[in-house]
Amino acid sequence: MSLGIKPGRRARASRRRLSIVRTAALAIFAIGLSAMAGSLAYFLPAAKLAWDATGQVISLASPTPSPSSTASPSPTPAPLYQPGAFTVLLLGSDDDSKFQADHVLTQSMILVRVLPDTKQVIMLSIPRDLYVPFWTGGSGKIDGAYSYGQAGGAVATVERDFGVHVDEYIWIGLLGLVKLIDAIGGIDVVTSNPVLDDYYPQDIFSTFPYDYQRVAVLAGPQHLDGIHAMQYVRSRHNDLQSDIGRSKRQQQVLLAIRKKAKQVSSADVPSIANALGGEIKTSIGLDRVAQLIPLAASFDNPDAITSMVMLPPLWHGGGPGGSLTPSWGAINYFVHQYFPYG
Amino acid sequence: MISRFLLGVGLIGLMIVASFGTYTYLGGRQSKVAIVAQKPTAASPRPNAITLPGTLYLAQSGALYSFSFGRFHQLTAQDGWTQPSLYPNGADLLAVQRLYDHSDVFVLSRFGSPVEQWTTNKGGGLDTGSSHWSFYPRLSPDLSTLWMSYDSPKIGYDVPLSIWAVPAGNSVVHGKLWTNSIDYTGGDVEPIPLRTGGVMYTKYSRDDNGDLAGQLWLATRPSRPANGETLTTAGAEGQPLTGTDEDCAQPSISPDGSQVAMICTYQKQVSYLELASWDGSSLGPRREVITDQLVAQPTWAPDGSGIAYLAPGAGASGFQLWFLPKARYNPPTPSPITVPTPTPGGPYHGPAPKPTPAPPVVVPLVKPIQITTNAGFDATSPLAWAG
Repeated sequence: MSLGIKPGRRARASRRRLSIVRTAALAIFAIGLSAMAGSLAYFLPAAKLAWDATGQVISLASPTPSPSSTASPSPTPAPLYQPGAFTVLLLGSDDDSKFQADHVLTQSMILVRVLPDTKQVIMLSIPRDLYVPFWTGGSGKIDGAYSYGQAGGAVATVERDFGVHVDEYIWIGLLGLVKLIDAIGGIDVVTSNPVLDDYYPQDIFSTFPYDYQRVAVLAGPQHLDGIHAMQYVRSRHNDLQSDIGRSKRQQQVLLAIRKKAKQVSSADVPSIANALGGEIKTSIGLDRVAQLIPLAASFDNPDAITSMVMLPPLWHGGGPGGSLTPSWGAINYFVHQYFPYG
Repeated sequence: MISRFLLGVGLIGLMIVASFGTYTYLGGRQSKVAIVAQKPTAASPRPNAITLPGTLYLAQSGALYSFSFGRFHQLTAQDGWTQPSLYPNGADLLAVQRLYDHSDVFVLSRFGSPVEQWTTNKGGGLDTGSSHWSFYPRLSPDLSTLWMSYDSPKIGYDVPLSIWAVPAGNSVVHGKLWTNSIDYTGGDVEPIPLRTGGVMYTKYSRDDNGDLAGQLWLATRPSRPANGETLTTAGAEGQPLTGTDEDCAQPSISPDGSQVAMICTYQKQVSYLELASWDGSSLGPRREVITDQLVAQPTWAPDGSGIAYLAPGAGASGFQLWFLPKARYNPPTPSPITVPTPTPGGPYHGPAPKPTPAPPVVVPLVKPIQITTNAGFDATSPLAWAG
């Protein structure tokens, strides 16, 4: 008033200024909200699929007394134990129409020890024909542990028979492997030899899953799509080491997937999750997955990745039904050099 | 003051734009890992404007392409065509047509038209094993013999490839089995007929640990002169040129016949381009030329100006075409240092001046040239390079 401004005018001016501020704030809020809605729409399908696939609870049936708990203690302490290290059991199944969805065999079982401090990875393939006592009772080839007890049964069987602790598991079906590799645009892999098979199972994308087909994956560096990568890791007829040779090829493809996955960005997650839907299950929670992705990307030294398969004298042939008879003492001594006691 | 109606309409519009914009932005932030390879003729960005000598033949997604004067030309439809090789008379090509359960060798014109089918590998009946594979065809320098990998003999589940020499244009029943592959290894592949009459090839064998590895081999006589004769032991027809620990394959002999380019993986998920001198019976010391790429199918330029090969490229889908200039593996020798001649003058009784050491000659490292960016060539298909 002393300045010659009438009170009503000042109030209107103040309201006008407030109105502009309010309008701007409202606009910013609306943009933020809309951006969140857009992000939500983009990631929601993936989040739902990821929610369904991750954080699976390992449920265990009551154990039946093992017919042969022969796992002998290892004389050597695990030298590669370090804080933050963890063990994952990778399970790969033929989940084609020959099997009921809940009773598939695991054609591939790989114990993976991850040592974040030294950025080391140790992979040990377990022969699928190894004759072992199951956690759920009875004995059989280890590929049946999943069939009788789902992932929990497989994990518990491995933990008890090998005397190791498994922190997490990842299960993937055949079609899941194909879809995963296709979703990341294929993999660059050095195939170790020509893999030719005149009696390869034609059970994917086929109306008659007991049929056969011819496959020929040539040798050398090459780019493989999902179908051909699966042919490479799955064929065993033309390999003198049969399942052992196949395990080596599976590890090569796993390393190629890991290498390619380093190029994947978070914006790729929805398309990958959409492609994988239902073909992958893991006990790893979403929050842990988020922690592990950058960790996996930091493992870039190929010499720090150790790939192993179990060979004689850890087992010998002639077990029931063409199975492999384990030498538990030797197996435990070998395994506990790389995997700490459970 | 803005009317409330206009403000509301404006905000709704803003929200729609923001939400769709965010969705689209995130979609656009996807990596390029899943990008589908384009045809070399339609690749974007265009192939680098580089002109290589002669004409290079490559395979991509079941089609054959030629590359000459810096441009790609599609020769065949996408119908299983792969592994082109040169017909030494310069008029035609050999190539494999790979179908669902078998593959056959064809003679094609330089423009991709089938001229003649040389093998008939489609079997009859319900047994999937009645069909055959033919791969890596090569014609002998005198045009008389087709060399190839062929999956016979095979017994039961063991389906190894062996090296066969078949009179050109004749059925394989008239052919000679040149190598006896090792059981359950995948067999013998990539034959290169030599002017001396033998054949260099890659044999897959097992090392002391039972691991499979490729070895270059030289066979100087056939394993089985004609069908029906007794087989010799595996590999008895020749000698290894490399060790299993090196795990080498995909040999390519230089135009002057003095060097061999090959890839060696040392049984790991790596692939080095290596060179070795070649005297017709053995390889000299290895030289690692490229160790930081997944190299496949090294092929010498017909004029000796460099080596073409396939390898993944930065931000690219699959294997791309690369060219390694000769200066990388055969750098020019530095020009001799000129020694200054003494200037005439009177007698000098002082200490003799020490010669200034010549500055080290720094040969700039010649980098390989990436020719395509998103072509995705078939890395199991050797390149053919005509002069």
